[in-house]
Amino acid sequence: MSLSSQLLAELLHAAGQGPQSFALSAGVRTIHCRALQCDPLAATIDELTLETAELASASVVQLQTASQALAQRVNYLLEPIAPIETDSQGCSVQMRSNPPQRDDNASRYYELLLRRGGSIALCRFEKQPGQPRLRVPAALTHEVIGRLIDDFAATVDGI
Amino acid sequence: MDIERDQRRFKQIVRGRIRDNLRKYITHGEMIGRKGRDLVSIPVPQLDVPRFKFGKNGSGGVGQGDGEVGDALGKPGQGPDGAGGAGSDPGGGHYLEVEVSLDELAQMLGDELELPRIKPKGAASIEAEKTKYNSIRQTGPESLRHLRRTYLRALKRQISTGSYEIEDPRVIPVRPDKQYRSWNDVPQPQVNAAVIYMMDVSGSMTDEQKEIVRTEAFWIDAWLGKQYKGVEKRYIIHDAVAKEVDEQTFYHTRESGGTRISSAYKTAAEIIDASFPVADWNIYCFQFSDGDNWGDDNRKAFELLGEKLIPASNLFCYGQVESPYGSGDFIDALEKHFGENEKLVLSEIADKDAIYESIRKFLGKGK
Repeated sequence: MSLSSQLLAELLHAAGQGPQSFALSAGVRTIHCRALQCDPLAATIDELTLETAELASASVVQLQTASQALAQRVNYLLEPIAPIETDSQGCSVQMRSNPPQRDDNASRYYELLLRRGGSIALCRFEKQPGQPRLRVPAALTHEVIGRLIDDFAATVDGI
Repeated sequence: MDIERDQRRFKQIVRGRIRDNLRKYITHGEMIGRKGRDLVSIPVPQLDVPRFKFGKNGSGGVGQGDGEVGDALGKPGQGPDGAGGAGSDPGGGHYLEVEVSLDELAQMLGDELELPRIKPKGAASIEAEKTKYNSIRQTGPESLRHLRRTYLRALKRQISTGSYEIEDPRVIPVRPDKQYRSWNDVPQPQVNAAVIYMMDVSGSMTDEQKEIVRTEAFWIDAWLGKQYKGVEKRYIIHDAVAKEVDEQTFYHTRESGGTRISSAYKTAAEIIDASFPVADWNIYCFQFSDGDNWGDDNRKAFELLGEKLIPASNLFCYGQVESPYGSGDFIDALEKHFGENEKLVLSEIADKDAIYESIRKFLGKGK
């Protein structure tokens, strides 16, 4: 059973309950998901991370290439995602919504971090004028969550 | 002379217009692209010459033409073809380009922001060679010929040789009469300043943010240039790695690396060590970033700042330009770590309109 199927089954099971954290493994890959609220069709996710030792020896160039591929695959979120910064010392690539979503009160964006070691993690932030940015839950349908996990896995496969 | 008085008056009006709109010029960087060597060309709204205006037709007075007594009059502007339309040419005011010296602009900025004059530290221990035309030679280019001395010498020669005639007082210089101005290099003590600009050009810094930095740096430059005779400028750009660059590269580079502010501090410290002995130079550091520093770099950056850069500088100014992601927290970390350090000035620049206050904050200390 794939990681996405496992997580979706857990999310369905947790529908109507309070905040839940999940850690599900398949081989060397583990999905960490913290859901603040689960419904039969969607969930508000605080963090979604794929951890895998397969990225232990990834180079910066490989991570950059992987981030480009991931940016092309993940085109179904609220905003398009693009690589923003590469940290060659820490060997990680930061991707964000580009441009972020803006309204009168705030701007909101996804942040994806690819790290050697390694992991691919997604979270969402909100920035109000004059305030520090805050991590906010991302409301995603089960279908989108499943696609994200599959795309994370495909990105690791491509490295 | 009337024309001179008119010219003076014209200059006063132009300067008044610039002063009135200085905040707009500062925040929108209109004059930066117009900078020449020492002069800046500024568009000011056309100065209106008083003139007569026609009143509305038919609003009174006596008219002549066809018609009988008692015919109704049409409204002004309504001819047989109906109401008139807008012209096809673009409207808008006419603008006049006037040239103002950088020094004058800096003075206006100082007056407007009520900036104190900078008190240079230390004695004027650096000597600059200045050329002075303070001697006379027998040879030289004709362009430097000293006419009065040449004439006097010729006159003396003619009188002493008896060739000068009072009835026909012509003085004709010959080769040995000719005198030429000459120069000497005079050492002049000068108080010098070094300005080090540092800019984050990492992937998260957008073009809009860099435009803000460019505008602010222009005005800082203008003010410091007025305060010191010789201003040495150095430019550093950084993402995860820093390098010294020229002015053009400084403003037009975009990288995609991560942000490690300590790399810029290290390069700045090296430049100061190599080129600007602290005892002789007034050193100013201006750093601009979106404050989105990576990982554990803050610790290393604070170490360099506290041990090397702040002690060496008259002022260390950090301007945090707000990024669309609002992820910068370096300014808060700086404030927490250094508290009230009088040499450290922090400013948050939310948008172009905040440039004005930011400059006041940076330069308002008079250091």
